[in-house]
Amino acid sequence: MAQVSLANIKKHYGSVELFDDLHLDIASGEFVVFVGPSGSGKSTLLRMIAGLEAVTDGVIEIDGKDVTYDEPSDRGIAMVFQNYALYPHMNVYGNIAFNLRLAKMPKDKVHERVMDAARILRLEELLERSPAQLSGGQRQRVAIGRAIVRKPKVFLFDEPLSNLDASLRTQMRLEIETLHRELGATMIYVTHDQTEAMTLADRIVALDYGEIQQLGEPDELYSTPNNAFVAGFIGSPKINFLQASVVEVTGHSVVVSVTGTPNERVVLRASGLHVGEKIQLGIRPEEFQLATGSSPAGVLIKGHVQTADRLGNITYAYIDAALDSLLTVQTFAHRKIKTGTEVILTVPPVRIDVFNSKGIRCSPAK
Amino acid sequence: MNQARKFRISHFVIWSILAFFIIVYGVPLLWLLLAGTRTESSLISDTPLSFGSFATMKETFLNLIRYNSGQVMTWALNSVIYTVGSVTLTLLACIPAGYALAMAEFRGRKLILILTLVAMITPSQAIILPIFLEMTFLGLTNTYTGLILASSFFPFGVYLAYIYYTTSLPKSVIESARVDGCGQLQCFIHMGLPMAKPLLALVAFFSFVNNWNNYFLAFILISDDSKQNLPVGLTTLISASGALNAQEAASNLPVGQPEAIQAAILVVLPIILVFLVSQKHVRSGLNAGAEKG
Repeated sequence: MAQVSLANIKKHYGSVELFDDLHLDIASGEFVVFVGPSGSGKSTLLRMIAGLEAVTDGVIEIDGKDVTYDEPSDRGIAMVFQNYALYPHMNVYGNIAFNLRLAKMPKDKVHERVMDAARILRLEELLERSPAQLSGGQRQRVAIGRAIVRKPKVFLFDEPLSNLDASLRTQMRLEIETLHRELGATMIYVTHDQTEAMTLADRIVALDYGEIQQLGEPDELYSTPNNAFVAGFIGSPKINFLQASVVEVTGHSVVVSVTGTPNERVVLRASGLHVGEKIQLGIRPEEFQLATGSSPAGVLIKGHVQTADRLGNITYAYIDAALDSLLTVQTFAHRKIKTGTEVILTVPPVRIDVFNSKGIRCSPAK
Repeated sequence: MNQARKFRISHFVIWSILAFFIIVYGVPLLWLLLAGTRTESSLISDTPLSFGSFATMKETFLNLIRYNSGQVMTWALNSVIYTVGSVTLTLLACIPAGYALAMAEFRGRKLILILTLVAMITPSQAIILPIFLEMTFLGLTNTYTGLILASSFFPFGVYLAYIYYTTSLPKSVIESARVDGCGQLQCFIHMGLPMAKPLLALVAFFSFVNNWNNYFLAFILISDDSKQNLPVGLTTLISASGALNAQEAASNLPVGQPEAIQAAILVVLPIILVFLVSQKHVRSGLNAGAEKG
């Protein structure tokens, strides 16, 4: 167990600046997930912690020790790669034992450690096999086994599940979760899959263009996103964005007109906006309500159902309301939702996230 | 129906091409093997692909062996020494060089790569004089060391190793090894070498063929008859014995066309054998399973 701290991290590729003065502190035993789209720098950040990528400037500390210029093997870390990176010329046992053998650990001790790891990951039956004879899930378990035996201070995972099929991914995700609980080690995990991020993380670091967009607990990122990027990235199905413009500003509330809807004057709680500003309203699929009869206060949208995904317990309806894109609506009213059905949707104003013209959140926490 | 016909046509084309090459390249080889069993007169009078007798073959072989009290065997042994020495040295130099060029970032890496390519396409005749001068300067002409050193220069092997490592060795495997505690050298020993068996076989094979057939360098660097290799020896044998032109024979040894043919077989056979043995190792299937399958 160890804390990890990044201070003033800079990373330049020639003239391209990926990170500029990044700070991040990860507590001992914490499970932190880096999320972000491709090119956001999440993998680079992880590889800098691992020592596989040099930093241009800044300090990386693991367990209070400056490791910025240390070799990967001297940092007390273990890493699990996206494509497993197993040693193809060694069997499973050899793969798991490799590090310990390099460290010249006595044979019986190596055996003990390998068997321990194999038991935890249910690999006992496979120890004699070569990587080529394993399934994707088994290979990834071997890769994790290779990490476990080293008893590292910090585990680093670089999109470890993205090559697995959906059901296996869920299973492996649960295994990693269990592993974290059992070992209590600090884990840093990179993914572009927000389900993995939401379910695994103690804290999520949302990255875009080498900048931390938001750092917080999964629920916090979901319910109170700092900006439109985080709002759009976290949550599945995605949040809906409506374009609007500010008509009137009074204290902590604004009157907005929602583009493409009959909502001329909707009163929302938000600050820091000015009259005429083009803003975005973020509405999660579950915040919509199917309206009946007279129109209540708040945003009101009329449209018709284009398609509906019935998942059994809930239904996602995709509503064509003549806006830029279809609206995703989560509903329990299964039978009413049919293709072509006219619907009226409402959203209570307090459930709406307001983002200013720069995409920064202006509304208070819900 | 249509598909089946297409299939038949494509098969026909493929087999026709193969048959063409078998005839063009295979028949002379077959003739060579058969000719070794025939007498001089049979070579002229009988049909080209007829078989002589094993007795004749044995007699011819003994004649060949007896030439200058076993000089052919000395040449064969020399060829083995030159080839083993050069192949070993080539592997020792090419594999790490290719690995370093593929895996490491260092100043001048691009330049070395370009120079390797240039050296690869430079004809050996163009550099024979500098090599000769170099070896004379070092006092290594007419020595085993000199020829082994000179023929171990094998830029093609370096380039082959470079290509193999950049395409077939997953970078993440090396990174994983680094995290596991390998330094640069250990990465090469524990990952680069064991994962490159097909590469070793390939470079060794090409280097073997080059060295076993090495005529020009040996001809220039070695002047002592007893230190010649088989290809140069073979020409000495032919010209000295008058195998091809009886009138110009410098001696009346029982070495004629059948003996020259068997000497040629002696040169060709090891290459065929080595190819048959090494070709099954030249597979890149070894790396399966390192990354996602």
